[in-house]
Parts: sequence; structure tokens; C-alpha cells
Amino acid sequence: MIGGSIPANRQTYGRGFAGLVVGESAISRIDGETGRLWIRGYPLEELCDNADFEEVAYLVIHGELPSESEYNEWCSELRIWRDLPQEAMHVLKQLPEHAHPLMKYRTMLSVAACVMSEGENSRIDAQWKRPARILAWTAGLAAAAIRHMSWKEPIHQDPSLGFTDNFLWQSLGRVPSKEQRQAFEISLIAQSEHSVHAAALAALVVISTGADLGSAVLAGMGALSGELHGGANQRAFEMFNSFDNASQARKWVEERVTQKYRFPGFGHRVYKALDPRVKVLEPFAEQLLTEAGKTHLWGNYLAVKNVIEENLGSKGIFANVDAITGLLYYPIGLPVASFPIPFALAIQVGWMAHCLEYIPSGKLIEPAAIYVKED
Amino acid sequence: MPSRPNSSFNSLSDSFTWQADDVVFPLTSDVETGLSGVVACKTAIGCIDPAAGTLSYRGRDIESLTGMTFEEVAFLLIVGADSETDQVKFTQFSEEIRKARNIPPQVYDILQSLPKDTHPTRLLRASISALGCFEAQLNDSSATQIAWQDLSIFGQIAGLVGMIAQFRGGKPSVRSNETDGIAESLFIALNDKTPTATEVKLFNLVLSLYADHGLDAPTFTGMIVGSCLADPYYNVVAGLSALRGPLLGGTGERVLRQLLNLRDAHVARSWAKTMLSQGYIIPGFGHRMYRQNDPRAVILREHSEKYAASLGHERLLNVFRAVEDEVSPVLADKGIHININFYAALIFHMLGSEPEMIPCLYAVGRMAGLVARVREYVTANRIFRPLGDYVGPPEHHFVKRSER
Repeated sequence: MIGGSIPANRQTYGRGFAGLVVGESAISRIDGETGRLWIRGYPLEELCDNADFEEVAYLVIHGELPSESEYNEWCSELRIWRDLPQEAMHVLKQLPEHAHPLMKYRTMLSVAACVMSEGENSRIDAQWKRPARILAWTAGLAAAAIRHMSWKEPIHQDPSLGFTDNFLWQSLGRVPSKEQRQAFEISLIAQSEHSVHAAALAALVVISTGADLGSAVLAGMGALSGELHGGANQRAFEMFNSFDNASQARKWVEERVTQKYRFPGFGHRVYKALDPRVKVLEPFAEQLLTEAGKTHLWGNYLAVKNVIEENLGSKGIFANVDAITGLLYYPIGLPVASFPIPFALAIQVGWMAHCLEYIPSGKLIEPAAIYVKED
Repeated sequence: MPSRPNSSFNSLSDSFTWQADDVVFPLTSDVETGLSGVVACKTAIGCIDPAAGTLSYRGRDIESLTGMTFEEVAFLLIVGADSETDQVKFTQFSEEIRKARNIPPQVYDILQSLPKDTHPTRLLRASISALGCFEAQLNDSSATQIAWQDLSIFGQIAGLVGMIAQFRGGKPSVRSNETDGIAESLFIALNDKTPTATEVKLFNLVLSLYADHGLDAPTFTGMIVGSCLADPYYNVVAGLSALRGPLLGGTGERVLRQLLNLRDAHVARSWAKTMLSQGYIIPGFGHRMYRQNDPRAVILREHSEKYAASLGHERLLNVFRAVEDEVSPVLADKGIHININFYAALIFHMLGSEPEMIPCLYAVGRMAGLVARVREYVTANRIFRPLGDYVGPPEHHFVKRSER
């Protein structure tokens, strides 16, 4: 389905498509038992250690790491589209301050879709030209939405900066420390692709109707906003931040851990071991929180994590990526409500790759609902 | 409708059953591309029986609903109750929807700042997204708030579509009354005049027939987004993103655009012949599910024939009939028949819609099913998270850019 045939025609699956293999994909491989992730064959850890986000985005979308000239061309394409559609920036000014930044960002992207010419909008062969624009626009629009949370004026892009640094510059009005920039970039790489998660599935359904890539990204963003999905990183952080110290955190979790309480940022449909993205990001979170004098947050995180894993680890419940990213974004200075935004910026790369993989075989996606008469 | 006694849906073999006494997960089924054959959920909302060519809402055949207003049909789908027996609830429901149709002026200002030649579905998506920002203070998780919000969106979409029609037409002199239903107010927005009883009846009918149809892409997209417990405005923005695609909501638009160009039945016949002989797809024909007549198309054809002449559209009716007469016998052998979008396009034209507005009117109708099905799914929620079968390269190692 996702770009290929279905391996087993007859399948047994649970609610929410649990265990259902929807098709073949060459983009990422997850080993949920050992907690490992490969993107286009490369172990996640190697990409985090060696590549920049532009390079990984190219890899996810095109299937191979770029050569020097491909890389330069891709980066300059990403820069060309940094100038934002003024209609979208104008609409931002008319939106209320209190709305969630992801909603404003959604609205700006919907407005941006109005100012593209129709031919460009729906022609399938045009889709391959879209990822650079979507990535560049979304980053700029998201940064403006983040600033709008405190009525700050948008900041113009800086052509001398790469994707990550420019996003942080446009969001914060300053380029943060080297450690912070590095941690942020690695968080983008770690979240750039994750197989057919709910948001990718939503994007695939939209692309299967013959709609354009921007529409697919809007659908993915919708799924990601949910508290069971990307919205969880904000909620997980709010949980860690609600405790004065680790012993209070431990006590609070202990009271709930046997009550089937759902802790945001813990448990994952696919991983039954520690999420490899957590392993990559933990050292950065600890370092940034320590530098920022927020060691108690790190202590709270460890306390929550330890109690949950001691009690529920045997059931396969471990920290997932949403538990850790907020602990990076907070010391960098991003507002708490904006935490789902970097996740959206990164993982839309994966959505676009899945959509582009799907388009050639592109059958309309439509599962069944079986009618059961109400009592 | 036939019902198999004591059939519970957990092991299905050759033939696909669209109804059962229960659906028990985990279940086993044949899985094909496009998730065909995959069961996403059980539902009490709508039942399609492709073999029999029937469609029902909440157990009632659509043929029995043709005299109802769109609000009554939406109430049946969303609340699951009969508007006649549950009058108090229905009055509240209608009141909520009517209030929601009043769009805040800030959203109108935003709409006006957008390029007028933008496709109306994109205007609709941008304006419902903006409206969601103004409604954000309602975004707390109490169940009544969420239910309220769903109903609001349902009414807001209708209000916004009317606003977009006026924005494009630039003729907002006649205003609809507080007491007007969705059909009346949309007619006024499209035509700048009050409708006759026949026009109201037709408008209600066509919206009602579009109201629900299984897990089509807009509805299923909304359900996936809903399963993540997203704010309802995200469900709707996502659903609208799936609606315009050429395979779905765009069909009616293309039917009307192409057939409006045909002068008379004679020209229509030769056009259809040429299209067929050159192997073109004729919009408004074929449906993934029905291998016989789409029951909605049958109803809409009857109503077109009955009212086209009195509404002054006899010539266009003859064009539609000629195309159908020419195409049907050729494609019927392949199991391809007219679908809802064919005569709906004619009726929307009779009701004053230009081709570009048709997908938005489709959206007004389909919102009823989308809201109903998202609400039903999240009451026993489980996030949609399937698996992919990895067929990419085996593990390999990073090489520096300069060495690639």
C-alpha cells in the first residue's frame, strides 16, 4: 500500500489497526523489541552523530544521502523559499493571541495554500518540487506563530544561517548557544521519520485522493496536534514541571502507576523497549538543563521514568520521544505551548516521503466500517 | 435489509459482509491495496450494502428520508434520534447549529483578505482554520464542551460556505432570516433571492444524500485525526484537505463544468461517444463500492426529471439524460454506473451553484457524517497506528559528504 504491495493478503489485527501491515515501505525500519530505528538503512544514531537536518531531510525524501552538489542545490532551494507569503503573515496579525501556536500555524499554512496557483496545487508531477517550499515555509510560518504568542513582530530570515539556526533565530530573536543549536538539530533529525504512525496515515489518505502535498501535510499536522500524539510532548513537560522535586514526582507517579493512568510521553504502540530517540536525546537534555540551572527538571524526569519503567517496563511501557523533547526545548527558550511545533517541522519530512512513495501506486484509501445495529 | 443471524465479524472469508451482529477485535480479513477489505471499526451510523445497492442512515433506508430537512437528517446521524419523537432535543440541536452559522466578523475580514480567485474549498479550509483560532478558549476537555464544539463546526461550515458564495458572487443584498434552515440560507447566499418550496426541498435532499457514506477519505481522515484526540477543528481541516481531491468532492464540479458546455442532447451524445471511444474517464460514472446503481443517484435522477422543467433547466436535463443514455449501456457491463455526483451536479446548478462551489456544498452535507463518525469512534477510542513492511536497504553506514 505505501508504495508497494501488501505482503500478507490475509491478516489478523486489533482495533486502531494494531498489528496491521498496510504495505511495503522503503523509508524506515523500526525494531520495537530491541528499540532500534533505521532511516533508509542508516542507524538513527549515526545520522544524529554525523549529519545535519538538511542532509537527513534529503535522505528521507530522496532515499539516498546527497552528494556535495545535490546537497548545495537542496540547501539553496530551501533558502529560496524562506520568503513567506505575505497573505499568511497578514492573517497572523488578525488572529487572537490566546490561540495555540499550532492552530495559528495551521491557519497560516491553509492561507498559504490559497495563494498558490491552481495548477501547482493539484498536479501530481508537481509534488516532487514541493518539499523544499513546504519545509521552508512551515519553518518561517511556525516561527512567526511562536513569536505571536507574546505579540512579538516576526523576524526576517538570515540567509547566512542554515535551516536549524535560522528557525531558532526567527523564533527566539537570537541564535542560541552551540550546545543548544546542536541539541535542537539532533532533535529534528531524530524525529524526521517514523514509519506509518497516525499522522503519516492521515497524510497518506489525503494524498490518495489526488490532493496536493501541502494538503497532506495539513492533515498530518492535525493528527500530530492530538494529545495522544505530538501534543503529548507539551503535556509530558507540563507533568515534569509540576513537581518541586524528584521525591514529590516519585510519590505522584507511584500513586497512579497501578491505576492504569496514562502518563503523557510513556508507552508506544510499536516500541516495547526504550525508544531509541529517547536514548539519543537524553544526554543533551541533561546537559542543557544543567547549564540552565534546571537540574530539578532532569531529576523529576528520571524519577517519573524510573517509577514507570520499574512498574510497567515488563508490560513494554517505556519513555517515548515525547517525554524528552520538551526537556530540550525548554532550556533553549521555546515557549511550552510551542513544543509540538518542532516535532511537526521534523516529521513532516517523513509524511512527504511516504506520500511521494505512495503516489505512483496511489489507490484511494478507504477501509470499511461494519454496520452493527444499535440496541 | 438481510441480516445474518448471530454473525459476528471476526473471521471473514470470501465475501465481505457489511453488517453483522457484532464486530470483535482482533479480527481477520483479506487486506488489499488502499486498505480495501480492512475493517476500521463497527458503526451504528450508516450501512452500505454494495451487493444490494442500498444505503441506510441509522437503520433507515435513504429512500425514506427524502422528505426530511437536512437538519433532521443530521440530527438522525449525529445524535442518533428521530427529530419527531425527540422534539425537545431536536430544537436544541437546531438552535446550536443556527447560532453557529453566525460567523464572527474577524473571520469575514480574513476571508476578504484572500485572493478572490482561490478555489472555494481552499477558502473554506483557511477560514474554518481561522475560526478555530477564535474558538480556542473552548478547547478544554470536558465532554459537553467537545460535543458543543462539534455541533458548532457543523453549523459553522454551512455559514462559511454561504459567506464564501457571497464573497465570490459579490451580491449580499438579501439576507437570510434567523429562522431559515441551512438549505434556505445557502440558496439565498448563492442566488441573492429567496427560494421556492421546491428549491428548498431539493437543497435539503441533495445535502442529505451527501451526508454520510462510509469511511470515505474526508471522513476517515477526520477519524484518524480524531483518534489522536485532536481539537475538532484539526479534524475538519484535515477532512477538507481530503475532500477536494479529483477522485472525490471534485467530481461534481467536473461533471457540471463539462456538461454545461454541451448545447443540447444531440451535441451531448456525440461528446459522450467521442469520450468513450477515446477511452476518457467520464466524471460522475463509477463507484468503488457499487457494482450497480448508486441508490443516491437513482433518487437524484428522479428529482431532476421531476423538477428540471419547472425550474427552467429542461435543456440541461436533456444533456444529462443524453450523456447517461449514451454512456450507461457501454459501461454497465463493466459494472460502472452513474454515481451521486452526476445528477447532484445538475441539481446544484438548478439551485444556483457555479461548478467551483459544488465541493463546498458537498462538504456542508458530508460534515454531518464526519462529525457523527468521529464522535462515535472516539467514544471507544484507539489511535490508528498500523505497521509498514520494510523493504528498503539493509543496514549500512554513514559516509562523509566529501567521500560520497
